[in-house]
Amino acid sequence: MTAMSTPIERAPASRGLAGRPDVNRRRMARLGWGFSAPALIIVLAVTIFPIVYSVVLSLSNVTVSGNGISLGGATGSNYVQVVKNSTWQYALGFTIIYTIITVLVEVVLGTLIALVLQRLAAGRGWIMALLLIPWSMITVINAELWQYIYEGTYGVAGALFGLHDILGNSLQAIIGLMIADIWKTTPFVAIIVLAGLVMLPGDLYEAAEVDGSSGWSTFWRITVPLLRPTLAIAVLFRVLQAFGLFDLPFVMTNGGPGTATTSLAILGYKAIFQNLDFGTGAAVATTTALLVLIGCLISLRGFKIQVGKEGM
Amino acid sequence: MGARTRRGWRKVINGINFSAFIVVLFIGLPLYWLIISSFKTPPNLGASPPQYWPNPWSGANYAQAFVQYDFGQYFINSVIVTLCATALVLIFGTLAGYALGRLPMRGKFTLMVTLLIISLFPEIAVIAPLYTLLKDLGWLNSYQGLIVPYTAFNLPFAIWILRNYMLGIPKEMEETARVDGAGPLRTVWSIIIPMALPGLFTAGIFCFTACWTEFLMALTFNSADNYKTIPVGVATFGTALEVPFGTIFAASVVAVVPIGILVFIFRKNIISGLTSGAVKG
Repeated sequence: MTAMSTPIERAPASRGLAGRPDVNRRRMARLGWGFSAPALIIVLAVTIFPIVYSVVLSLSNVTVSGNGISLGGATGSNYVQVVKNSTWQYALGFTIIYTIITVLVEVVLGTLIALVLQRLAAGRGWIMALLLIPWSMITVINAELWQYIYEGTYGVAGALFGLHDILGNSLQAIIGLMIADIWKTTPFVAIIVLAGLVMLPGDLYEAAEVDGSSGWSTFWRITVPLLRPTLAIAVLFRVLQAFGLFDLPFVMTNGGPGTATTSLAILGYKAIFQNLDFGTGAAVATTTALLVLIGCLISLRGFKIQVGKEGM
Repeated sequence: MGARTRRGWRKVINGINFSAFIVVLFIGLPLYWLIISSFKTPPNLGASPPQYWPNPWSGANYAQAFVQYDFGQYFINSVIVTLCATALVLIFGTLAGYALGRLPMRGKFTLMVTLLIISLFPEIAVIAPLYTLLKDLGWLNSYQGLIVPYTAFNLPFAIWILRNYMLGIPKEMEETARVDGAGPLRTVWSIIIPMALPGLFTAGIFCFTACWTEFLMALTFNSADNYKTIPVGVATFGTALEVPFGTIFAASVVAVVPIGILVFIFRKNIISGLTSGAVKG
């Protein structure tokens, strides 16, 4: 680090004399890359490399033997195989519908909760702390808890609502999964939205009140448009998480009954680690990643979010 | 204030209080169920109709989690992996966040967007090649086999949060340090870090939570009993035929405690991180 620090120690003198600002700037830039290097190297090694490798795998004839995996020639057959596969088609449909419904419910419920909390006179801090518990809870634990609630013979859902085979029935299992997800992540949305609400300028509301605007129209004409960037972030986070859905169904239903709750991530995981079909697994994984990217870009555009250029 | 306004006001408050009560029930009841179930005796866990209050209270599940199943070991593994990854994320993230926030580097914008995109990638996209890589390194079933991937996956978001905090620190502070002859590392240590402390807490608690709850990589890379983390341990309690819910819930309550305390202490940082850190970005 001494080699790096010397130029900077000399820097103020040259800068003070307004002598060589470009040289100074270059030194600072070099320092910047030096400071960023450890983070960039580790991110590169653990994420970019595997992503590229995964794409290569997905485009190759992969054979798995005792000494590991070997790559054959380039091929698109993994993708053709995956796309034609009815299990993949189902998993894609399931993941998309699951994502849309849970995110929609969570955003609506989360906004309602945030609006309630904003108007709450006392105890807001305690409820916020309570809301953070499901958010920080291990998803596996959430899955086990709801599995116990849904259990056929002694589950509390059976005792209260007479539903005795929730996880054995496809539609009920899907809804049960969604409820567990909504319970865990709605608080997260509520907190984001509440923080967004608090930052909204109060004078706009006073003006609306003076103009005789009703609560409902104030909400739609002032609150919602101003909240849009906040909602966009919440939706983006949630869409990404929901699309990578793995922990919850893996523990609660293992993708069942049948393949009813098999998400893309579960399908990819099973292809890779249970069927040792690396080529197909990589194709499933890559298509999932691609869909996530497209989804992100669409939602970012839809909400007209600028990935902050300020300060760059 | 006229009588009409006051009555309207009171009506809203009642409706609001009622709604808040519903929210508390919605969030609290499953938590209540988790906690009381961990204190039921194993036979009573399967009682039908279920016991809504444990009778008698029992610590058997807790004993079983720590004695029959090696939950103590899982807990230690989780603590080691999470703390190391969080420390690394904060060290590398601070340096990179400082560079990207305050130093004149070319291509910064591209770099930030690339980092953002990486942080959005689903884990499943990298799990197979990462598994092969770790296997070749002999890092399966080791602490570093989780610490390094966790560090990499949490760095992008941490860098974003930290960079945003760094942007807000006045330039004069650094100038003064430089005039005093402090080197860049020293400037970061004595000027930048104290000023960016709230950002460090925010990035730290997010990283901690993510590592503490991570399941897919932990399941894939560290399946040996000695290296299992809490989520994997909890998921693999019991057999295919019997799920020991009591043991699972006892372990769960123990697992929720540290994160619950941290989240409670740093709740303001979490909330600001979820908004300013992300939205301003």
